[in-house]
Amino acid sequence: MEIGLNHYLVLSTILFSIGLVGVMRRKNLLLLFFATEILLNSVNIAFAAISHYYGDLTGQMFAFFVIAIAASEVAVGLGLLIVWHKRHNNIDLDSMSTMKG
Amino acid sequence: MELYLYIALFSPLVGSMFAALYGAKPRTKIAGVVPSALLITSLIASTILLAHILSTGEIVHVEMMTWMATGNLYIPFGFIVDQVSVTMMMVVTLVSSVVHVYAIGYMDHDKGFNRFFSWLSAFVFSMLILVMSDNFAGLFIGWEGVGLCSWGLIGFWYHKESATWAANEAFIMNRIADLGMLIGIFLVYWNTGTLQYEGAFAAMQNLDTEILTWMGIFLFIGAMGKSAQFPLHTWLADAMEGPTPVSALIHAATMVTAGVYLVVRSNELYALIPDVGVFIASLGAFVAMFAASMALVNRDIKRVIAYSTLSQLGYMFVAAGLGAYWVALFHLMAHAFFKALLFLGAGNVMHAMDSELDPFKMGGLGKTMKASMVMMTLASVALAGIFPLAGFFSKDIIIEAAFVEHHFIIYTVLLLTAGLTAFYSFRIIALIFHGEERYKLFGFHPHEAYKFMLVAMSPLLILAVIAGSLKMTYFEMVTAVLPATEYHLHSVTTYWIMTIGTQIFVILAILYAYKKYANSSIKVPDGTSKMEKSFVYKLLINQYYIPYSYEQYLIRPYRELSTIFWKQIDMKIVDASVDGIAGIIYGTGEKTRAMQSGNLSTMLKWMVLGLVILLSLAVVFGLAARHFDEIKVILSGLGV
Amino acid sequence: MLDHILSILIFFPALAAVLGFMIDKNSIRAYGVSVAAIEFVLSLFLWFSFDSSISGMQFMEQIPLIPSFGINYILGVDGISLFIVILAAFFTMIGIASLTDTKNVKNMIITLLFLQMTMAGVFVALDAIVFYIFWELSLVPMLYIIGAWGGPLRIYASVKFFLYTFAGSLVMLVGMLFMAYFYYQATGQWSFAILDWYRLILPETFQLWLFVAFFIGFAIKVPMFPFHTWLPYAHGQAPTIGSVILAAILLKMGTYAFIRFSLPLFPDASVYFMFPIAIISIIMIVYTAMIAYAQEDVKQVVAYSSVSHMGVIILGTFALNVEGITGSIFLMIAHGVVSGALFLLVGVIYERRHTKMMSEFGGLAHVMPRYATIFGLMLMASVGMPLTINFVGEFLSLLGFYQQSHILTLLAGIAIVVGAIYMLAAYKKMFFGELTNEKNKNLPDVSKRELVALIPLSILTIVLGIYPTPILKPINNSVESIVQLMHDKSITEEAKTRIPNLAASKGIEITRTSMKEAH
Repeated sequence: MEIGLNHYLVLSTILFSIGLVGVMRRKNLLLLFFATEILLNSVNIAFAAISHYYGDLTGQMFAFFVIAIAASEVAVGLGLLIVWHKRHNNIDLDSMSTMKG
Repeated sequence: MELYLYIALFSPLVGSMFAALYGAKPRTKIAGVVPSALLITSLIASTILLAHILSTGEIVHVEMMTWMATGNLYIPFGFIVDQVSVTMMMVVTLVSSVVHVYAIGYMDHDKGFNRFFSWLSAFVFSMLILVMSDNFAGLFIGWEGVGLCSWGLIGFWYHKESATWAANEAFIMNRIADLGMLIGIFLVYWNTGTLQYEGAFAAMQNLDTEILTWMGIFLFIGAMGKSAQFPLHTWLADAMEGPTPVSALIHAATMVTAGVYLVVRSNELYALIPDVGVFIASLGAFVAMFAASMALVNRDIKRVIAYSTLSQLGYMFVAAGLGAYWVALFHLMAHAFFKALLFLGAGNVMHAMDSELDPFKMGGLGKTMKASMVMMTLASVALAGIFPLAGFFSKDIIIEAAFVEHHFIIYTVLLLTAGLTAFYSFRIIALIFHGEERYKLFGFHPHEAYKFMLVAMSPLLILAVIAGSLKMTYFEMVTAVLPATEYHLHSVTTYWIMTIGTQIFVILAILYAYKKYANSSIKVPDGTSKMEKSFVYKLLINQYYIPYSYEQYLIRPYRELSTIFWKQIDMKIVDASVDGIAGIIYGTGEKTRAMQSGNLSTMLKWMVLGLVILLSLAVVFGLAARHFDEIKVILSGLGV
Repeated sequence: MLDHILSILIFFPALAAVLGFMIDKNSIRAYGVSVAAIEFVLSLFLWFSFDSSISGMQFMEQIPLIPSFGINYILGVDGISLFIVILAAFFTMIGIASLTDTKNVKNMIITLLFLQMTMAGVFVALDAIVFYIFWELSLVPMLYIIGAWGGPLRIYASVKFFLYTFAGSLVMLVGMLFMAYFYYQATGQWSFAILDWYRLILPETFQLWLFVAFFIGFAIKVPMFPFHTWLPYAHGQAPTIGSVILAAILLKMGTYAFIRFSLPLFPDASVYFMFPIAIISIIMIVYTAMIAYAQEDVKQVVAYSSVSHMGVIILGTFALNVEGITGSIFLMIAHGVVSGALFLLVGVIYERRHTKMMSEFGGLAHVMPRYATIFGLMLMASVGMPLTINFVGEFLSLLGFYQQSHILTLLAGIAIVVGAIYMLAAYKKMFFGELTNEKNKNLPDVSKRELVALIPLSILTIVLGIYPTPILKPINNSVESIVQLMHDKSITEEAKTRIPNLAASKGIEITRTSMKEAH
């Protein structure tokens, strides 16, 4: 069996679903970042696969963009996380409700 | 001649502004003397203009400057002195000069002395604009101007509730009529393309009768307000709250006759629509009788004279309506003299009696106030129309005109009214000057007015006596611009029978009044006599309940409706619905803010939900687009 | 300098306002007055160099902002806007000069100068986007004035004022965008220049929709019935100076925009909506006049009277002939002067007694004769006494509309009756009668500082009532070209007959002042 586009897309979907569940269920901020990374990377897989399928490099270019952005996001996010941890001594999501409307 | 025109027109304005300079200062004689002197200047200039017109027959016409010009509309400040306006100018300047001089004495002790003269001269200026303007817009300036000054002067003693109420009533009632006039002016403009009398009247000759009728009606509505014709008459009697010189000048001699002047000035229009003329005459006759009837029982001398004015205005409208324009104008002039005299005489009486107005509380004043008595009696004789005083020549000719024109109902009404006029005029003369000295009961100490006031009144006295003899000169002059219809009865016998009959009728009425009211048994009525309990008396003393019903059925509902509009409709419906819409938006936010729990994972769940919804929508729409044709078939099968 | 005088008029006060932050608190008043005076002199200079025989735009400036979307910074004045610009500068000047002792006077003066910038901008902008920007910007200083210096309900009033007018303006913005899009479709080019739009002939259905979109924006600003309820709150809570500027200038933005946008862009729709709008105007005139009569607070009387007078202005505008439109523009100026003065006068008594309830007064003529006189003059101007400034405008507006409908003019003419009723009633309550209230016995008459504002207004009221020509003539020329433009552009039969065709010799000047001349 040759591995085709569909397999990559199925993989991407599965990863995305895992990430989504992670985003929704996790209460730990650090794990939330992990889940986000999974989400982004699942999309990257899809980008790369489709790019290869069409022979168009734009998709791969986008994948690089996403990686770059994910990196910076994590950098900023972790920075904030550390600051938060220093102040409140926990990184539990439920304790962060200062944005309550 | 133009110079004289400007002098005649603007010296009252200068006088007014001069007095206004002293407006907030304590009273000073000079604020009264200077305007009076300027008015006499104006009188002299008017006389020169009159002489000029009498000798040459030339009309003086100037255009001072543009007032409004836009589109095709062009309204200048144009002034014309022709035979009609010069008559009015003479009346206005003469009576106002007399009244000004008189008022220096009359208002002597009033702290609003300076303000009074400012208003009074401003009034004269407005009145002159009204009569001298050569276009309808200018007429309207004067028209509103006199209304304004009348407001200021009726409410002159502004601390009195009744005075300010009367002032507002007069102004508002006049405004209602002015609306009619304004519409009339619009009609003239859009149909003739100009507001200049000359061009407008020329263009009217080719217009539809229907349009002309509307023009005539609307302009006359304006005249009805200013001349206090039924049903806009109630303000005139209430206007007697003003100082007496004001009543003499504005509410007897000049302003109220502006309506008559308007009809006379628009004679070319009214000549084209005789039906409206008949209406005007009928209304005039009605008002003549109606007002005279209210004067019969009233217990306020100024109000009696006011009703008498109203009645005489009715006469003038009869003449004007029947096409006897020169007669109307002549009666206007003669009436101005004797009525102003009557009012000023009443002013003397009031002064003597500390502003007491009830003639039943006077009586026998003739002993202390001989000069006033002579003047008022002569004025009343003139008013009653006894030969050879002014009223005989001016008023009887109106009655004759009605007869000649075969309006016999009007004729009968006017004849009866002549009797009533004589009766009520002498009723107050008898009550004031003859009989017992009832005033002693009330502790009054009457005294005659200042000499110079009496001297000031004398020109009016002379004119009230001799004005009749000027009739032919006047006729020749004024018919240069007005239709010259002479009202002669076909048979000389009928003429003599009618004239003498009228005279006897009127004299009988006078004698009856004396018999009834000059005797010593007159008491101050206390509401117990049989007459006072009769229905007719109650009807008349309450002015046919018209002021009452205006108050009850117009003013009060207006006030209540205003409050309802404000509190119920504007606040509770219009504003509330705006606030309601805002409230819905605000409420939605209030309800949904619970979603914003601040918990990151809840929000992420919301986000995922949104994502799912959007994705499924995209799928649905994508499918719908792909299978558009089939869906259309299904939908058409369903009858959509 | 003449080439950029309009930009100077707009940005000079803004610059001065920024610099104003650096001025010492004690000298800010002198600074404000001098800036406003310079601005006023500049606006007079504009009038002086204005050629009143030209009916089109003058002193045009053009700077591209976003050329690809046809958004340019275009300015210009014609007879219609010229006098409102002058009036705005004038009121800012006397407003600052007569400013009573308020807290944070520095902020107030700076706000007023900003407001002056936006007002000048609205009336000279000839690009829809620039117009819109200034239109919305003008809300901000007013919001601040009401919200910071207002009465007890100031927050509610200011938010209501802001949101209400802002919501309307958004609809207008949509209309503008669609108009530009339509222009793009028709010509293949984007343009927001109003003069370009003038040349576009729209199909009737488009006109109707666009007219409604613009109408909502303008009608709330005017404010027309039933969108008027923000006004009494705004006036009721605003400090005197805020009410003065609001009544004198800001309300005129709505009526001005009707003449600048609605009429020439949508002539057929204007004819189509003429009678509904006339009926709304009549409701405005009579209904609000009756409400004014019922008021207990003298400032509310003046506020509602403003709405009533705006009804006459709208009626004149929709007469769609030269007499009516000229009259309505003149009435805008007249109403600015008179209602501005009336609000100042109310401010005078409020300053002394800290109440505006008429039941607290009565007999004031005894103690304050000068005040009573000036108030009386303005009262008479407000009820449309001939030889005062208001009469000219009212007379021409009603005269103009009479050509379109007799019966509606008759109904609208009730304005002169009901106007007299509420004004005289209010005057009687305040000034006539005995002096009963102890607190009123020692009130001082108007002071010099108050007279600084009131005397010029009184003079204007009378002088322009007697000799309106210098203002009427430029207005008339510009209006003639607009009316001709409307006639030429109109497509329906009814519009052709309703809008007069002026003599061919008068021609269309507007289209001749094309964009090229501006460069």
